[in-house]
Amino acid sequence: MSDIQQYLLDYDRSRREASAVAENSATRLRAGDLKLLTLIEELGEYFNSEDGAIRAKTMSYLAEVLAFVPQKVLSLQQRNLLCDFVLARLEDSEGLGSCAKGLIALEERGKWDSERAKKIVETLLAHTHPLNQFRQQSERYPVLRLIDTLMAKYREALRSLHDATPDFLSRFIAYFDGEKDPRNLMLVFSILRVPMTEWNIGADAQDLFDAVFNYFPITFRPPPDDPYGITAQDLKDRLRECISSTPEFAPYAFPALLDKLDSTSMNTKRDVLQTITSSVMEYGPRTVSLYSITLWDALKFEVLNVQEDDLAEEALNGLAAIARVLSQGTTGPLNAYLRPIIKECNEHLEDAPTKQSQAAARILHKIADVSPEVTNILLAGMLPNLFLLFQTADTIAKRRGLLEVLVQLIRANIGVYGDWRSIGTAGEHSSNNALLQFRDQAREIMLNGLETAPIKEVSFRLVCLDGLLQLSKARGLLNDEDVGKIIQLFNAIVIHEESYGKDEVKEAAINGLVEVARQKPQVVIDKAFPAFMAQLPDTDMVESRGYIPVLEAFAKLAGEEKVFDTVILRLKNKFASAVKQNASSAYIIALLSAMLYALTKGANKLEQNPESSSYFQDIVLPLLKRTSSSDESHPRAFDDEATLDLVGRICNIIIRAQSAEHQETITAELYTMFRGTPQSELPPFNLNAPPETNRTMIVSTHLLASFRKETKLPCELDLLISSLANYTQQANLSASVRFASLRQLSLAINKFYSAQALKTCMDPLVNSPFELFVPEKLDPPRIRIMFACLKGILLRSSPALATLYPHVLSFLSHAQYGTTVAHGFATLLQPDDLLTKQNHCQISGLHKQKSFALLVPNITRAFREASPETKPNYLIALSGILKWMPFDIVMEEVGQLFLLLLQSLDLKGEDLVKESAIGTLTSTLVEKPTVVEEHAGSLISRLLANSIVNKEAGTPAKVRAAALRCLTIVPDKLKVEVVLPYRRQVCKKLTAALDDGKREVRYAAVRCRAKWLEVDEAGDDD
Amino acid sequence: MDLDKQNANPTILNPSDLPSRRRTSAVHRRDHGGSGLFDDLIPQYNYLNDPFEQPVSSSDSDDDAVEAIDEQEVYDLISSISDPEHPLSLGSLAVVNLPDIHIIPPASPYSSISTVLVEITPTITHCSLATVIGLGVRVRLEQALPPRFRVDVRIKKGTHSTDEAVNKQLGDKERVAAALENGTLMGVLRKMLSTCE
Repeated sequence: MSDIQQYLLDYDRSRREASAVAENSATRLRAGDLKLLTLIEELGEYFNSEDGAIRAKTMSYLAEVLAFVPQKVLSLQQRNLLCDFVLARLEDSEGLGSCAKGLIALEERGKWDSERAKKIVETLLAHTHPLNQFRQQSERYPVLRLIDTLMAKYREALRSLHDATPDFLSRFIAYFDGEKDPRNLMLVFSILRVPMTEWNIGADAQDLFDAVFNYFPITFRPPPDDPYGITAQDLKDRLRECISSTPEFAPYAFPALLDKLDSTSMNTKRDVLQTITSSVMEYGPRTVSLYSITLWDALKFEVLNVQEDDLAEEALNGLAAIARVLSQGTTGPLNAYLRPIIKECNEHLEDAPTKQSQAAARILHKIADVSPEVTNILLAGMLPNLFLLFQTADTIAKRRGLLEVLVQLIRANIGVYGDWRSIGTAGEHSSNNALLQFRDQAREIMLNGLETAPIKEVSFRLVCLDGLLQLSKARGLLNDEDVGKIIQLFNAIVIHEESYGKDEVKEAAINGLVEVARQKPQVVIDKAFPAFMAQLPDTDMVESRGYIPVLEAFAKLAGEEKVFDTVILRLKNKFASAVKQNASSAYIIALLSAMLYALTKGANKLEQNPESSSYFQDIVLPLLKRTSSSDESHPRAFDDEATLDLVGRICNIIIRAQSAEHQETITAELYTMFRGTPQSELPPFNLNAPPETNRTMIVSTHLLASFRKETKLPCELDLLISSLANYTQQANLSASVRFASLRQLSLAINKFYSAQALKTCMDPLVNSPFELFVPEKLDPPRIRIMFACLKGILLRSSPALATLYPHVLSFLSHAQYGTTVAHGFATLLQPDDLLTKQNHCQISGLHKQKSFALLVPNITRAFREASPETKPNYLIALSGILKWMPFDIVMEEVGQLFLLLLQSLDLKGEDLVKESAIGTLTSTLVEKPTVVEEHAGSLISRLLANSIVNKEAGTPAKVRAAALRCLTIVPDKLKVEVVLPYRRQVCKKLTAALDDGKREVRYAAVRCRAKWLEVDEAGDDD
Repeated sequence: MDLDKQNANPTILNPSDLPSRRRTSAVHRRDHGGSGLFDDLIPQYNYLNDPFEQPVSSSDSDDDAVEAIDEQEVYDLISSISDPEHPLSLGSLAVVNLPDIHIIPPASPYSSISTVLVEITPTITHCSLATVIGLGVRVRLEQALPPRFRVDVRIKKGTHSTDEAVNKQLGDKERVAAALENGTLMGVLRKMLSTCE
């Protein structure tokens, strides 16, 4: 049987086997076992068959064989013959697709000359015009691919064909009429784009334009799981490229597009606006100048009467694109375009502040941003009138509306001409900036406005302030003296002005100062700092605490890198003199707070070069000495534990960035702190030390936190651990000292044990005589030690946890202290500001997963077996763990935990537990609502019970609000048919919550009830 | 489409100028005028949340202090309703204003019924949507206030050409109920209320 017979047999049964036959033929051709002539002769009979389907299959066979034949097997002569043969087959309407495939295969095996390329196109047009007469997409697609290839590789040939044949282009355009398939359209657009951009299209421009614009707007929506992956956006992009391809389309494109702009479909409008913008960009200044005013008249409408904000934004892009393109041409058309804009915007200023004056500001800002020419013309056209209107304005509101426009123009100006730190899009040309002419007037009215307007005119003053800020930022605009005046005014607002409302103006003034400090650091240091310092007394004689806002503002300035050092220096000096003058504790605390805040803001700078600054010498050492001293250098404030916490944190932030080597200079003084007393006489080593020495443990904690793990501690690690364990058990310790000491325990274990030693690190405490895990010895201090140690270990995900956790879990059933232990679980994963990577702690990335896996399944199992009295302990422990667990860890198990969580809502008096349970339930609703579905009823009734004031339960407001917030998302997350049965009950019960004593709860109740009322409406629609 | 707007270019108030609760309370909270910038330097939870002490639920103490429903609260409920014509809130269009909201306490000690009186100011005097706005305000308050409040919504005197007639419509319970049966109208109202916080 010949190959073609086999192929025809296989074709209907299995395309794959048929292809294999063709491949086999190709292999034989290459090997010489089969002569090309023989192959063609064998086909002859089938090509002459009466049955069209057989003819088509035969062509398909030939095309496949050609595609399988390797390069260089067919000689040029053979290829030419084959080509002629296949072209001749085009007269047959069967097998068109295969013909095209065959031609593509031949082209791949050897470049054609231009005559052949022309002939192929001519033949296609002669015999298959219009292409759409072939119903099968699979027939048309190869033809389009063939033409696309020709367009790509034989561009010159086709162009000369077009130049030589008058009606070629019109036939060519019509050839693609009526194509609808998205895959084919992608090709058609790309084919037609070649004549559009490269050919002289002359009289055919309109036909060519219509051929693509007929598809506008694209409303194609790909079928679900579309195998071809062509999106509407792909089609839109290609179509848009076609429309914008040549300025010769302008006479047809702009009217047609503007016509479609009246569409009621937002998508169409969006498409139109984007197409206008890209057309404007491509058509060039000469063409655009003809349509600029028409376009303005249409596009402005979208901005002045905003329908959708993104449409307005697209329209603005279009307007800006026109200005940008016209800036590339001569000034005449640009002026002609800007004139009506200036006129219109000026008209809208008359009745500012309105929706349209705001729109005018938007337009001006967007357009002025494009080039120096445009910004200068707009400034010259707008500002004189604006200033005039400002002078004659009768209300402050109007003045505000006018200034809003001014500020937008200044912002655009900065975009073009740059600010002090960076040059703008125009490069270094600040001298021709038209804003220079208006700067004095602008500065004056805004300075005046900010200074003299009544304090309650918040929005007006905010605009003035913003305008002044922009002026002082603009590159090369104001001199240092003028910037200084603006700074002084900001300063005066921050320091002297009385507080009003939300203090928006004060806040803006501070932020303004920070921003100017970025641009002009030295001016801020010269002008603002002395005024700040003058407001900070060396000692506070009077009871006023007016220095607080000043300190706050001053500390904020530290966020700006260039002035950071100066801020710290001034604060340090102020602190030194305040201590010398015996200032009140409140003042000293405020100064320390400001210093800490400033250091936190500048932490990045400290980390970059930790040893270059003198902060260690100038700040840390004196602070430590004052902490431990007992003479007059020891301020009274340092007897206060909160102050010592601040001191510790200041030292920590400076020390922690330093190298281990540098830190060694202080590790020996961790507990002694330059007292000169031997360490063994001090806490935590000496339990009988004088009580005032206990306080310095707070500072030691922060020092220990700052040390790198390579540093050497002042004593053996085991000794430190056991001393701390004994020390923390003393009854007379204050809460914060005890807490600090426990954290030392966590820090020491986490940082200084090797991985090997970590496994046994608790042994000294577990073994006799301490016997931490003996139930009879259990008491609150020992429970604290237990959790403090575990906290250090769990962050490292040590294998030791597998043996330690079961001990602790077993205490949940302890008769006396079970509940206390249960509460302890909340501390385990609670975020801690000292156990952090910055403090060189060892934190394993998966420690939360590890603890979850070791704890939660055990708790749920033990819960089932627990006695009724101890069951709550398990619920408390569970919620304590889940409280800090990222929900994606909980997600997998939440199905099993859900009922436990619901039961936690029934606990009495455990408000924190309830709050955290509601938190987990909320996450469950959001992330995995299917779990909730079957328990919807019990969830809703429990949430309702917790959201309404109830004398017995005494649910606090925070829990009530949380329950309501959770209940609010229930209708969103569960199916309507699940929720609908509860609607009546919920809405009725919630009327009680609407009358709650607390505003926060009422607020949540209103939102919740509104959501539930909607449930019904949604149900009606179905 | 936009041309049929009755007032295409209304005046807009800046959000900074709208009345808000923080304005009055924040000032007194800190006697020294600071903004509390330094309050968070030392994380709070370390000290408050020591679970070994009997849990201090900090809200317990202030649970006793009842915060009564006042005019500002009513304002907050209705100022975020959207205008049917513009994507703007009734507050920023000055259709509802804080001084035009009054809470009238119960007339006699035996009654628990208070009245909320809201007077709305249409943006223009012949605005035919005034009724719809009034209805929206009314529906919102009926949904959001406890039942011991009677809601009374009126057009402010002299701000509308037919304020008497509109007031009659808004005050008539049956006509309000009938209006709410109207699907199109409910659709408009739902859209207006969808921006409520």
